[in-house]
Parts: sequence; C-alpha cells; structure tokens
Amino acid sequence: MENAGFEPRIIGFLCNWCSYAGADLAGVARLQYPPNVRIIRVMCSGRVDPQFVFKALADGADGVLVAGCHPGDCHYADGNYKTMRRFQLMKKVLAQLGVEEDRVRLEWISAAEGSAFARVIQEFTERLRQLGPFKPGRRLAAGGEG
Amino acid sequence: MRQIVIDPITRLEGHGKISIFLDDTGAVKNVYFQIPELRGFEKFVEGRPSEEVPQIVSRICGV
Amino acid sequence: MEKLKIASYWASACGGCDVAILDIHEKIVDVANIADIVFWPVATDFKEKDVEGYPDGYIDVTLFHGAIRNSENEHYAQLLRRKSKILVAFGSCAVMGGIPGLANFKKREDILGWVYFESPSTQNKERVLPQTSTPVPEGELTLPSFYEEVKTLGDVVDVDYFMPGCPPAPHQIWAVLQVLASGNLPPKGAVVGASDKALCDECKRVKTEKKVKRFYRTYEIIPDPERCLLEQGIVCMGPVTRGGCGARCTSAHQPCRGCYGPLEGVVDQGAKYISALASIVDANTWEEAQEIIGHIPDPAGTFYRFGLPGSLLRRARNV
Repeated sequence: MENAGFEPRIIGFLCNWCSYAGADLAGVARLQYPPNVRIIRVMCSGRVDPQFVFKALADGADGVLVAGCHPGDCHYADGNYKTMRRFQLMKKVLAQLGVEEDRVRLEWISAAEGSAFARVIQEFTERLRQLGPFKPGRRLAAGGEG
Repeated sequence: MRQIVIDPITRLEGHGKISIFLDDTGAVKNVYFQIPELRGFEKFVEGRPSEEVPQIVSRICGV
Repeated sequence: MEKLKIASYWASACGGCDVAILDIHEKIVDVANIADIVFWPVATDFKEKDVEGYPDGYIDVTLFHGAIRNSENEHYAQLLRRKSKILVAFGSCAVMGGIPGLANFKKREDILGWVYFESPSTQNKERVLPQTSTPVPEGELTLPSFYEEVKTLGDVVDVDYFMPGCPPAPHQIWAVLQVLASGNLPPKGAVVGASDKALCDECKRVKTEKKVKRFYRTYEIIPDPERCLLEQGIVCMGPVTRGGCGARCTSAHQPCRGCYGPLEGVVDQGAKYISALASIVDANTWEEAQEIIGHIPDPAGTFYRFGLPGSLLRRARNV
C-alpha cells in the first residue's frame, strides 16, 4: 500500500459546550478510536476562523475537523449557523487551491454523542490514510528553485 | 570573439537584454535581443470571471 | 547634509509602481533636491555592473517592486539587499505576490505550454522553450530560470519595510519618502504608507445592516451610488483590507479587491474574508446557504486576487 505506515495528523477544533464534552464522553465510556487527533477546545465552532484551518494545513496537519453543537443547540444561539456558512465557502476556496475535499470535515456532535465522536475520528483517520500526507507549499529558503 | 552585454535595457517598460558579438577586428558579427521575463497572464486569467479580466490585464503594463 | 542615494527596481512587475512614483508630480523635484538616483531602469541608464560596483550598503533606500518569478528577480533582490541600507517591498507584488501571483493557481508547465505551444497565435513547430543556456555560433546566450511558483520579496531576502498597494497611492509615497529622508524610521518590518484601519473606515458609502440574500456579479447590477457595495451583494474586500488608498475603487463604484493587503492582525486575507463574507450570508439552512454562496464565481481568485503567494497556503496544489 502506497501510504503504509502513514499516521495522519488531525487537528480537531471542538466547541466547549457540545463536541468537546462528546469527546470527553468517548473517553469516559472507554470507546476506542485512533490517537491521530489533536484537540483544540474553542468556546464555539463559530470561533473557528478559517485562518485557523489554513494555518493548521500550512503547518503540517493532514486533516482538520471542526465540530460543534447540532443546529438549534448552539449555546450562543446561532454560532454554529455561521460555522455552517463559513465551512461551505471555505470548502469552495480550498477546492480551488487543490486541497482534497475530504481533508476538512464539519460535524455536529452533541455532549451525549461520545460514540459519534469516536466513529468520526475512526472514519476520518481512515480516509486521510487513503489520501496520504498533505504537502503544503513550503516557504523556501533563498536560492531554491521554488 | 568579444561580447558586449547590455543588461538591463533601460528607459522602457519591461525587461530586455542585448548581447553583441564582435569579431577580432572589432566589427559586429551578430546581435541577439532577449526578453528575460514571463508572467503568463494568458494562462492565469483562465478561471477568473470575465468581468474581472480588464482589471487584471491592466497590470500587464502600468506605464 | 549629504544627499540620499535611492534606487528603484522592478522584478516581475508592470511598471505601474514606477509611474506611481512619478505621480507625486512636481514634488519629484523636491526628491531630486534631497536624493540622487543611483539605479532606476525605467528612468535612468545605470546597468547591473554599476550596481555591482557599489560598495555594500552604498544605497540608502531601495524601492523594490514586483514579485519573484524567476532567478533574475531573485538575483536582483539579493544584489539590492546587499547594496542597500533600507530595502522597501514596494507595491502589492513585492509585498505579497500581486497580480503575477495569480500564476500560483497554475502549474509552471501549463503556463509555459500555453504561452509557447498552445495559444492560437503561437507558431512553434519545433516546440522550442526558453533555455537557461543556449549555444550560438558566437558563444552562449543565457536566460533566467522560470520558477515553479511566484514568491514574495520577503520569501527570498530580508525586507525592512512593506508598502502595499497596486500601485501605492502617490500621497502615501510622498509621505513615506519624507519619513525615510528624515531618518526618523519606523520599526523594522513595519507596514508603511497605509492605514491601520480597514478600507471600510475611509469608504464614504453608507453602511447599515449587512445581510445578503443574493450575490451579484458587477455586470448584473447597477449599484446604488451611496450604499455599501457589500450590502448590495457585490463581493467587496473592504472589511479585511487595509485602508490608506483613499478608497479609490469604491469611490468609482468598483468593489475593493484587496490590493492593500491584510488588515493589521490578519495573517491570511483570503481566509479572513471567508469568515467575514459567510457571516453576512442570510441563510440558516445548508441548502439556502449553498444557493447564495453558489453565486460567488471564483472565490479563491477573488479573495486572493493580490496575495496568493503571501498567503498561508501560497499556491494551488495538483490543479
């Protein structure tokens, strides 16, 4: 297999009120999921500036997960609706920049859905393993042929 | 054979270079004119909305 | 006081920055009173060899325009860095790639292929491509190598100041020249000749509530001359772009395309604009948002119109 031995690095931006608690539940319930995700807790998925996603990809992440409360459940009423709209526009931009569609993923995971969190990480890791490492354009030292 | 290189060509828009080759008597044997620049507007306007193209291609030459 | 020595050079550029310098009009005479020009290909006849002959640090200020597209551009960047006390990345191309940076949406071989083989006006049966070295009966001719991607000036050399704009506004150029001449210099790495506030701050259009149900391409709508273009559904980069230009485009009923670069504190102008633009889309279902966002043609080419090489992802991959 082409990507044998490749362990994808996933950055997961999880909202404090639902998805982070969901991830916590997955741990408390001793659900098995791959250790490939590095979680960053944010107060709301609406706090996830697309710059964070671009920065993660530019600095070595192979995939980025944004997870928040289900629509209607946002602690701040409509933060996750903003996330939904941003995510759509961001995907269009990333597609034009040649970033494979499946490298960024948006999920609604509630505090009760530990199993959903474990499943998402399982699926995402497998998909990224198929896609292989993400190679961002490196800032080359002077003298390079770019 | 002696070579005179004029680089850059000045007081015009763009990049240019002239190489003059002289024979042993100092007479001009041959002259080459080269343009050492390429940006590729023809290619990178592909995919841009047509109404945006006039503003993009106005940066071909700003002089 | 000894006169300043200034240089102005274009790399992968259009010459518009040089013309913008001349657009300070009669004040150019004041510049001539305080400064000698020691290299300026568009206006004077100094050659590369003259610059090489200068001692290191001989030039007080170099205004460097243009992106780094090929090895000659990089060579001049390094030469002028060595010879200059102050190197200013002047104009959007040098600061963040500019319009030539749109080439980072394409592959090197596709650009060369179109220009030298495929375009309808090209006749090139032997499929000749420019070579870095070509033997001729009299000797050898050389050309710079065409890089894989466009880079910014800051990617290849250490830059002292960044002055954005396509081109920089003449009143800003004059102000910056005065500051540089005074010796009372801003901190290294500063963005000069621009505002710390967004373009919207100096745009005179009336702003009320931003909620967009439909985006329009510029030919699809005659905008209200007084109202904010973005509120009328015209994609305008004002909210994430530095001001300082005097809102030239929006005053002429044209939307901002971001040539003054990212706002203070913003790392990636395009990514930040995704955030700003999606926030004002008036939709709460996936399908409705998809319909509204679908009316934006070429989002990446618009949000990164002037700054793809200087952005976080720098270029498109595998396309």
